[in-house]
Amino acid sequence: MEKVKVMVVDDSRISRMMVSSMLAKTNFEVCAMAENSAEAVALYAKTKPDVVTMDMNLPDADGIECTRRIHAIDPKAKIVMISAMKDAKLIMQGRMAGIGSFLQKPVSTNELIDTLMIMCNENVGAVAVYRESYVTTFAKVLQQSLMSLFGIQSEIEIAQNEDSVLKVDGVAAVIGIVGEPKGRVALYMDSDTMYNLSKAMLGMDPQDDLSADEAEAAIEEAGNIITGRAVSRVNDVFKDKEMRITPPGTVIGSDIILSNPELISFNVKAKTSYGDVHMNVGFARGV
Amino acid sequence: MDVKLVNPFIDAFTTVLPQMGFPTPQRTGMTVNNQNAVSQGVAVIVGFTKEIRGNVVYNMSEDTAKFIASTMMMGMPVENFDEMAQSAISEMSNMLTANAATNLTALGLEVDISTPSLTVGSDFQIKISNEQYLCVVMDVSGHQVEIDIAVQQ
Repeated sequence: MEKVKVMVVDDSRISRMMVSSMLAKTNFEVCAMAENSAEAVALYAKTKPDVVTMDMNLPDADGIECTRRIHAIDPKAKIVMISAMKDAKLIMQGRMAGIGSFLQKPVSTNELIDTLMIMCNENVGAVAVYRESYVTTFAKVLQQSLMSLFGIQSEIEIAQNEDSVLKVDGVAAVIGIVGEPKGRVALYMDSDTMYNLSKAMLGMDPQDDLSADEAEAAIEEAGNIITGRAVSRVNDVFKDKEMRITPPGTVIGSDIILSNPELISFNVKAKTSYGDVHMNVGFARGV
Repeated sequence: MDVKLVNPFIDAFTTVLPQMGFPTPQRTGMTVNNQNAVSQGVAVIVGFTKEIRGNVVYNMSEDTAKFIASTMMMGMPVENFDEMAQSAISEMSNMLTANAATNLTALGLEVDISTPSLTVGSDFQIKISNEQYLCVVMDVSGHQVEIDIAVQQ
């Protein structure tokens, strides 16, 4: 997949390093770093970045002036301001100069990536948008919820699901997503993991008896809680979007194939001491 | 659960299928169940929410799914229940539920529907409700499609 080029403009070396390290494992690539306005204009012309992060305080001109100079050579330049101050006057002046978005230092990785994603929406494919703007949030919520619901640590892996087929042996809670975008989440695992997790969720000891019905209900509720939390977090970031979830449906058995060729979906795997917990997050094609 | 909520789903089935080249389906059974549904081979789950929340499942044998997919694809032979046939069944479930949603709106109940989740396998269980749900059997050219409808109240 083609990388999205970012130019970082900041007079502080530490700030430049922080932004580039946040973007290190993403689909963004820092193509240039400038420490003053003159350098920023020269490097912009040379490297043609897709998006620019702009500090307010630069030694030779402020970020707003620098934005004006970049816009003079490329009126379509996409610029996000990252500064310690963020007040109404600055935002007004910045908007007039052509700054598309404003972030306040310290910036969280999520906030930065989501903002850059939104700004470059037309430049990147739907896969990257879904992955960076939604799936990473779902994965983070899964990890946090495994801790809060079951008290377990987990290691998370995210991969795009290329063949659109999931094999389920055990239990899968399927939760639909309505609104924009539409999709569905499947939280699934084998029976052993289901019993381990549901006993932990209910505060039982591993040797205690738990019926299959109750264990399945616990996983269903976990799927409902995790998806609900993830969706509200995404809704908080994208103020213009409102996703909601449908009640869970659960499938139980062996050799079940969950197939959704019409979805762009991602496999999130959480490795835990109780077994692997899988979450597949899929969205309808087309953002 | 309220039996009148089931009619929008049956009406959708009897309206949409003839538009895709099927003879008018007949309702051959209706029961209130509280046990988990059992997959007949291919089961599609579609969730809905807003003024009422719930799930609908379209449950059929793989043979029936292949017959439906083939008819939807203008009689193209469907030997295996492959990705194309799966897409056809997903799309049918989407159309049926969207049409049911329109029918529900006419009753003053607005709903939004999720993307369909297609599951394939034998004898696995499907749980869509903690309480009772309605199970309607529709006959399409001798093929049976079970529609399970659960509404949370």
